[in-house]
Amino acid sequence: MAAVPAAVPTADRPWLRELLAGEAHAWLFVGKSVLAIYLGAWLAMWLQLEQPSTTMITVAIVMHPHSGMVLAKSFYRTIGTLVGSLVGLALMSAFPQQRELFLLSLSLWVALCAGGALRYRNFMAYGFVLAGYTAAIVALPAIANPYGVFDSAVMRVSEVLLGIGVSALVSELVLPERLRPILRREARAHFAKFLAFLRGSTAGRIPRQAMQDAQLASVRAAVQLEDLRSSVIFEDPEVRLRSRRMRLLNQRYMAAATSFQSLHHLINRLQRGGRDAAATALIALYRPLATALTPPAGHAGDDDLHALPPQLDACVRALPGRAAALRQDLSDAAACREFDTGAALLARLVDELAAFVATEHALRTGRPVKGGVEKVHFSRSSDLAGVGVAVLRTFLTMATLSVFWLASGWTFGANAMLLAAIFSGLMAASPNPVGSVLHTLVGYAAGMLGAAITVFALMPGGEGYTMLVASTLPLLLIGPYLATRDTLPGVGAGYTLGFVYILALKNPMVYAPEHFFNDAIAQLAGLGLSGAAFMLLPGLAGTGWQRRRQLRRLRALVWLAATEPLDGLLWRFESRGRDLLLQAVANTRPRSAESRTLLAWSLAVQETGRALLELRQDVAGGELPAIARDACEAAVRAVAALYRKPDLSAWEAADRAVDAAIALAPGRARNHLHQLRSALRDDESPLLAAVHAMPAQEPAHAS
Amino acid sequence: MPREIAFYGTLMPGLLPVFVGCLLLMVLLDLLLGRIGLYRHVWHASLFRLALFVCLFGGAGLLLVR
Repeated sequence: MAAVPAAVPTADRPWLRELLAGEAHAWLFVGKSVLAIYLGAWLAMWLQLEQPSTTMITVAIVMHPHSGMVLAKSFYRTIGTLVGSLVGLALMSAFPQQRELFLLSLSLWVALCAGGALRYRNFMAYGFVLAGYTAAIVALPAIANPYGVFDSAVMRVSEVLLGIGVSALVSELVLPERLRPILRREARAHFAKFLAFLRGSTAGRIPRQAMQDAQLASVRAAVQLEDLRSSVIFEDPEVRLRSRRMRLLNQRYMAAATSFQSLHHLINRLQRGGRDAAATALIALYRPLATALTPPAGHAGDDDLHALPPQLDACVRALPGRAAALRQDLSDAAACREFDTGAALLARLVDELAAFVATEHALRTGRPVKGGVEKVHFSRSSDLAGVGVAVLRTFLTMATLSVFWLASGWTFGANAMLLAAIFSGLMAASPNPVGSVLHTLVGYAAGMLGAAITVFALMPGGEGYTMLVASTLPLLLIGPYLATRDTLPGVGAGYTLGFVYILALKNPMVYAPEHFFNDAIAQLAGLGLSGAAFMLLPGLAGTGWQRRRQLRRLRALVWLAATEPLDGLLWRFESRGRDLLLQAVANTRPRSAESRTLLAWSLAVQETGRALLELRQDVAGGELPAIARDACEAAVRAVAALYRKPDLSAWEAADRAVDAAIALAPGRARNHLHQLRSALRDDESPLLAAVHAMPAQEPAHAS
Repeated sequence: MPREIAFYGTLMPGLLPVFVGCLLLMVLLDLLLGRIGLYRHVWHASLFRLALFVCLFGGAGLLLVR
């Protein structure tokens, strides 16, 4: 392992210290990767497995600087490997003598796995890629000798599992670098930022632009925290115990953020509509929240939260009294109604904030959350059209290679298919697959060159494992080191993979240049073909068609909020909306017109959907008279239909239904209806623009 | 327990079910020890967990398979 020159006097040169710290991290990762690769290879040889190179490739793919990531990848890879090997066996036993049918069904399986990888992003995707790829590595080498497929499957699975085990142990035991501190730091930073934003917003008016930026930041935070959490649970048993509470925290955060936006939109609309009396009263009602969210002087430390929950609880208790006092100053009935609507929203916001801060406090102190922990899930939303394109592309790639292989009798066709299987799956989820494949291709070719030098110049004449390590190490080191450079994404991984793949370490090694070069050409062809497939059949990411689809799905969330069973619906609605928005925004340039449209729609959808949910809860509470209940349900349906197909007639129908329900509904339900109406008539919302852009008589689209 | 088990005509090492059983036991133990907070008092938690697993598996293997 590389020694870090710690004794260099760096006190007066901060840039040098920074450089050394960065290099130390990089070399730590290089050392761990190399250690895991050689340990895996040695164990595979010691256990007399057929291809130690499979173990080395596994290690090369799984290694990551953070041990939580390695464990998460390993977990899903284990599942993917087991499933893939079973499928490989099943395919082989179903078509032992029909190569055409066998290759067709194998292509189909790999294609479906690539689609699954796109459908389930994060590390579960990885399990899918591996399920496809393992079916290929189990079945393809045995294609000439179907009787050997079972032994081949046992060998491949043993080699892969050995690689997974070794990389997991090495990254956990040897100077582990944890994700948990990162998760904690990120979570605290988001928490502090959100509270600061709330404190800073008590003046009332926030411009749409700032609100949209805040929305984007909060959405990004929610999804990022969920991603980190799903990796950290693998590295730390304590985090696993808290995992449910962390989910709850994230959900409460999303709920509070939505309420906050709704409240601000309401106040802004009142101000724009010249209803200054109600707006001023609401802002006055809102102001004490800032003091409640400020830690008392002397406790300025960011980590000290114990003062906040009691302050917020006091704020919750004081709210009705203050609201009554402020209401008395209002003159006309309309202002009173507007004030009531805002006060109800504010009460909801303060409630949710109190729950949010209490959960964060409980997480930091390790105490249980009051009122037990609900089981909540971060629900994601994926576009099936994109998945379909990935399936089609992978299937065509694999089928083309199969046909070429069968027609030409190419000895190394199987290797080309293997590489194509790996990379069509791995790259499908990448935002810029062609670029990623090109980077990887360059790295891969460089790795093969390195391996060629190693195999033909350095290795001959060496004896024993020490000499093997000594001769392969110098050129292998380059791969993991490049992987730590952010400026060259994919090149380092490609280098390592190409190096260990073409090295094809066996015991004993054979000197076979023609095999080496044939194999190298086949692998580059497979990789190149999967890249060409991405060019010929590009993913939908970033196209206008997909953006329109995403927009429609975003609006369909209102339909979801209006129709699905209420149980757990709030969490599904909030998390799905954020996941969808983040996917859509990731493909637009920041602050471009498209990105602003998406954000504006997402704000409108969240406000309306949330109000519908609250209204439905009032209706389900059963305290409304039957006639008011029917009117409320009609209003919910009309608004949902409007979001499904925004045009003028639907808008008018929704407006009428909400008006009719307002006339009948009492109390809480009426506040929610008022909020709905005010959101419907919001002149800055994209809804009105869309309604006016689309004439009422247009024939209905199937959506 | 026998050294090798026939599973639908495939011979498997008798240690395999012991290994899986120990893995399950380890998950339970992990939950328990995490809950009582033992890992906070251990110098290298992952090393400790690995060692614990090796003890479990080694002991069970030596006792059960002969």
